[in-house]
Order: sequence, then C-alpha cells, then structure tokens
Amino acid sequence: MQRKSFLRKITDTVRTIISLALEEYRVIFHDSGVFIIFIAATLIYPLLYGYIYKNELLRNVPVAVVDNSNSQRSRNFIRQLNATPEINIVATYANVDEAKQAFQRHTIHGIVYISKDFDDKINQHEQATVSIYSDMSSFLYYRSMMIACNYTALKIGKNIQIERANAEGVVGEQAEINVQPIQYEENIFYNPGTGFASFLMPALLILMIHQTLFFGIGMLAGTAREENKFHLLVPQDNMHSSLYKVILGKTLCYFTLYMVVSAYILGFAPRLFNLPHIGNPNDLILFVIPFLFATIFFSMTISVFVKNRETGLVTFLFFSVILLFLSGFSWPRSNISPFWLAFSWVFPAVHGIQGYIKINTMGAGIHQLNLEVVSLWGQAGFYFITTLIVYRLQIRNSKSRAQAEQEEQDNFTNDIITE
Amino acid sequence: MKKSIKEGFKATFRRELKRMTGRPIYIFSSVFVMFFCYIFFLTFMKEGLPESLPAGIVDLDQSYVSRTFIRNMDASPHMKIVARYTSFNEARSDMQKGKIYAFMIIPKGFYSDVLSYRRPEVTFYVNDGYLIAGSLLLKDMTYLSALGNGYMQKKVLEAKGFSEWQIMGNIQPIAVDAHLIANPWANYQIYLLNVLLPGVLQIMVLMLTIFSLGMELKERTSRNWLRTANNSMFAAITGKLLPYTILFTILGIGGNFILYKYMHFPMHGSFGWMCVATFIYVLAHQAIGILFIGTVPILRDGISLAALYGLLGFSFAGFTFPIEGMPRNIQIFSEVFPIRHYFKIYINQALNGMDVKYSLIYFAAMLAFLLLPLLVYYRLKKAALYLNYPAK
Repeated sequence: MQRKSFLRKITDTVRTIISLALEEYRVIFHDSGVFIIFIAATLIYPLLYGYIYKNELLRNVPVAVVDNSNSQRSRNFIRQLNATPEINIVATYANVDEAKQAFQRHTIHGIVYISKDFDDKINQHEQATVSIYSDMSSFLYYRSMMIACNYTALKIGKNIQIERANAEGVVGEQAEINVQPIQYEENIFYNPGTGFASFLMPALLILMIHQTLFFGIGMLAGTAREENKFHLLVPQDNMHSSLYKVILGKTLCYFTLYMVVSAYILGFAPRLFNLPHIGNPNDLILFVIPFLFATIFFSMTISVFVKNRETGLVTFLFFSVILLFLSGFSWPRSNISPFWLAFSWVFPAVHGIQGYIKINTMGAGIHQLNLEVVSLWGQAGFYFITTLIVYRLQIRNSKSRAQAEQEEQDNFTNDIITE
Repeated sequence: MKKSIKEGFKATFRRELKRMTGRPIYIFSSVFVMFFCYIFFLTFMKEGLPESLPAGIVDLDQSYVSRTFIRNMDASPHMKIVARYTSFNEARSDMQKGKIYAFMIIPKGFYSDVLSYRRPEVTFYVNDGYLIAGSLLLKDMTYLSALGNGYMQKKVLEAKGFSEWQIMGNIQPIAVDAHLIANPWANYQIYLLNVLLPGVLQIMVLMLTIFSLGMELKERTSRNWLRTANNSMFAAITGKLLPYTILFTILGIGGNFILYKYMHFPMHGSFGWMCVATFIYVLAHQAIGILFIGTVPILRDGISLAALYGLLGFSFAGFTFPIEGMPRNIQIFSEVFPIRHYFKIYINQALNGMDVKYSLIYFAAMLAFLLLPLLVYYRLKKAALYLNYPAK
C-alpha cells in the first residue's frame, strides 16, 4: 500500500514534468523569435561558417621580387620559391621603391629582395642573405611568406653544402651526414594540414550551441516577464514542491531539443566540411550531456535578469567574442592571466570548447577529460541551485506585482461601483 | 517649415537624452561594454606573443648531449619544458589532455650514433589543433634542429681552422632576414585589437540603433516620437540617433587614443584621419541599423538580423583569414561590411603610413552606406504612424 503510493507519486511527478516539457516545446514553436534562434540559427550558422572557411589554407599569396644579383643562383632561388604552394611571384621590380608602390596598392603582400652580393658571398663561403618584407595586416600572409622562404633557403642551402662536400671529395651518404649529422622529423598532430577551419570551427561550433541556448532562454524569460506571467508557472497553492518540477520540465525540453541540435552541429557539420572528427561518439555524448545541463541552468539563472525579449541579444552579443578568447583555443590557456582564468570558470562554453577540441580534434577519451567533465557537472549542479533560488525570487516578485495590479483594478471597480 | 524641422530635431534630441538615462541598458550597451572590452583585450594578451608554452620531452638517451639539447629547448623563447616522460604514449596522452602543446623524442643511443656518423633521428610532435601555440613551437623546434646540426658542424669546421664568418656561411649558406612591416615583433595584440575593438564597436552601434528605434515601435510610442519631431521623419531619426553618434564616436576615438597614444601601437600615418574614419564608421553602422529596423519593423527580428550581420563582420573584415582565401562567390560580400573598408584604411594609415589619397575610395565606400536609410524612409515612417505590424 505504502509502496504503491510512493510509486504513484513518482509517476505523477514524471508525468507532470513531461507535460511541462511538452508545453515548453509548444511555446518555442509558437514564438517565431525563439524559433529563429533555437532552430534556424543553429541550422544555418554551421553551414555558413563552414562554407566561409572551407578552403582551410591561404595559397599562392601574391609576392614581388627584386633581384639585384641577377645570377644563376638567385634565379634558381626565385624559381624554387615560386614553386612552393604558399606564394606566387607575380611581379619583378628593378628596385625596392617600385615594389613598395605595388605593396601600397595592395596588389602584393610581400617583397623578396636579393642583394647584389648574393652570388659572390656564396662563392666565398660567406653567408648570403635574402631579405623579405611581409604584410602584417594578416598573420597568414606573414606565415605563408616565412614558410616558403625558409623552406627554399634551407633546401638550396643544403644543396650548396653538398656541392661543397663533393668538391672536397666527400660524396654520397657521407656528404649528407656531414651536412646534417642529426636527422629531424616533424609530426604535426591533429591538424596536419595546419588548416584554419580545423582550428577555428570546433570552437565556433560549441559557441553556437552555448550562445543560442543562452539567447533563446533569455528571450523566453524576457517574454514571460513582459507579460508578467512568471508567477503562473507554478501552481499558487503548492509552490515549494512544484518549483523544481517547472525547472526540470523546461530543462527536459531544452535538453532533448539540444541533443538533436548537438548531433547536427557537433556530429554532422564536421563531417560535412571534412573538419577534424576523430573522437569516439560515445565519449562525445558523455561529454555533451554535462555541457548542455551546465549551459541550460546557467542560461536560466541569468535569464531572470533579462527584462525584455530582446535585451539579452542587445547587451550580451559582444560576449561571444570574449568567450571565444577566454576558451583559450587561440591564445593558449597556459598564457592567460590568473584573473581572467578564474573569470573564465563562470562560463560553461570555456570547458565546453576545450573538451570538445580534445575529444573531437585530438581523439582524447572521456577519462582524459577529468578537468572538463568534473567542472561541467559542477557548473550544472551549481547553476541548478542558483536557478531554483532566482526563480523563487522571481515568482514571488511577479506574484506580488500581479496582486498589486489586481488590487488596483479591484479598487478601481469598487470606486466605480460606489460612485 | 525649416524652423519646425529644426525645433523638432532639438526636441527629439532632448527627448532621447531622457530615454537614454531612463533605462540602464543604453549606457550599459555602450559605455560599459566598450570599457570592459578595452580592459579585457589589453590585459588579456599582455605578453603580445605567448611565451613559455608548455612542452614535454622524452629523453631515451639520457646523455650529456641530449641534456644539452633539452637545455637549449628550454632556453628558446616560446617554449618551456614542463614535463619529462618515459614513453611516447605518456607524452601523447598529456598532449591530448592539453597539458603540453608539443614534445620531442630523443632516441636511445643518440649520442653514440652522432659520434659514429649513424645520423640518429630526433622527432618532434606538435599539436596544431591549437594553431597558434603549435605554429610557435614548430618554429622554435625547426630553429633548434638547425642549431643542433650547426653545433655539430661547427665543431668540425673549427677543427679544420675555418674563420667565424666562414663557419656561418658553411653551416647556413643562405639566411632569411625577415622584415615584418609595422609589426616587427609579430605582436598578437597589435594584430588583433586594431580590428577586434572596432568589431565590438560596430556590434554595439548596430544593436543600440535598432533597439532605440525598435522600442518606439514596440512600445507604441512612435506617434509621440514623430509628434515631438514636428512630424518630420528626418528630424525624428537624426534627433534620436545623434546622442548615440556622439557617444559612440567618443568611445571609438577614445579607443584610438588608447591604442595609438597610450599603448603606442604602430601609427605610421595620420592619427587624425584614423579618427575621421572612426566617426564615419559609426555613422555607417547607424545607417545600416536604420535599414534593418526599417525593413523589418519588428524589434526582435531586426535584432536577430543585425546579430548575424554583426558577427559576420569579424569574418568579412578579412584580418584573421584573408578574403582571397574564401570561396570566390562569397568574396564580394566583404564589400557590404563597413568594417572591411575601415580595416583597409587602418592598413593604409597605421601600418603602411600612406597618404590619405590612397584611402579615399574606402572613405567613399563607408559614406555610401549613409544612403541606405533612404530605401526604408517611407516604410519606417508608415510603420511609426500606423503601427501596422505584429508587436511580438
């Protein structure tokens, strides 16, 4: 008997929560503003950004050459430089001033200058210098220029060394050993093509989930507040026991919706654009669950401070940029100052981005992500409690406001009646 | 008539000042946000270039030479050895956890192999999932490898009696001497902030323009607004937006002062023209804001549209990933973002120090955005008068 009523209680609770979740779904699909954020934005953003950055690399950066040496060696250097995929020699100028003018017209992004004594120096076994001038408006220009020039200089330099060894009578492998007594092998892991999209997109994808949830939930709360419906969320008579049901009901709605959204953004988009996706799907799911809970409760907590439907986006859109930097995917987390590092713990996006990069890009297992997983569950728990607190306060305020209005109304009608 | 427009303009201006101070959102979304961003970005990347990035080592040789090698690694500018491992798997696991960004394996028998001309192989592993940390460490390691070989060759050449400059000529016959125009330190702060801060500025200008206009429609105060402006739409819009023009221009030019005067970021051209560019930049985004709210007189849709547009501005400025690297059919879209033209002016003025005549075309492009409100002038007036759109 006792047991049955207990079971009954649980099924009733679950039923209430599910019906509340369904109600929330109805609200979302009937509110075009929220619908745009939850469904349209999450659908379009990955495609849009994936397409913008789909080329991954900057190739054939236009560069000009000033060859004052005009020797066979310098021409060979230029030829080999032009053969690199990074840069493309589009013009030859008689002097640096002419080249600078082209640079200022933005037709070239770098100048390679070979001095008059280039060939003589090599013949005399002195070090010859190739000067490069690089456009710093984008670091990718500079990077392309440096990679191409260093590669060519090392390659030709090595040939010269071997020629010299040969001239001394050292040939074959022995010459190679003399030139390079130690061999080096570089292995670039996790982004072997050093692609820009492979680097940026994983962070952006997590940010899309975090921000759309944040702004969508903010808009829903703003609407409830505008219409002063907040107190209607919870049955008046039994607020204490019902409050958590309301919160869980809403959470169930956002969570189930965003499991689907996450599958699309984190699972499908990387495959569509051939971005890194070496993570184990099970690990990814185990990671996304706490990330979504933390983000949902975080957003619900902050949402009560949103006055209108739109104020969330107006005031906090800029924060997307801040979050991107706080996450440490570009400026490394090891080099973030202690203050901002501590500040970054407030936002689920930060560990979300780090964790996702580690699983998806670097193939880490969930057991290697203790820091991220524990802190995301910690955030989920913490923000659940804060949500409970702020919702209770909010409902109380809303109720007293509604009562005041009601009384005013009553007084007004009483006045009319008495008159 | 003229006089009534002028009076209307003044009255609207005064009305807007009252509205602006009446709700915290206006000051928050301008003054507070911009100050926060100035402080954040200036303190966040203080070093300019990340130093002492954590790296690991797997030293299977444990010899005098391998230890010298490791000391050299530790001394290179961007690298700091934080961990030693006994195997590749251990090191790789820590790289996956993000504890180190790179590691190097020195094989067993390294020293004796060098001595007996067996050319041992040293292997680097770099994590380019974090592109910036990865690139810097790869650069350091490439440099170290040249140094390692050079060190060995130097010993031989010294024994043969070569002089110092000939030794350099022999170890490295061709050197690359890089000149980084206007940012010789490859400083990230200089590189990023000059575009990121204007990027945040455009977002806030767009948002507040649309919000201030859209609230009139949403809260159904637009008739009162037009009446205050003596029923002149021109006076209504300019009077309403002027406070924000002033506010954001001050914040933007204040930002220029912080970057070029206080932080001494490169400014090889005219600081004055840069500030003129900032002023036109603010105006251009106000014009785009009017276009958005005029096209969709529903506040929430206007805001959502502007959010998409504002965030895309960061991509289409073309500073992290140049426009010419994007697919051809979307390259043209960069032209419809004032931030692209502002970025070009910045390159010409601050980095290349060119005469302003080379930038006139970009000034003209930004000014062209000011014509956009004409497209929605009547539509917006109608919306303000008849309130003929859904409120929610």
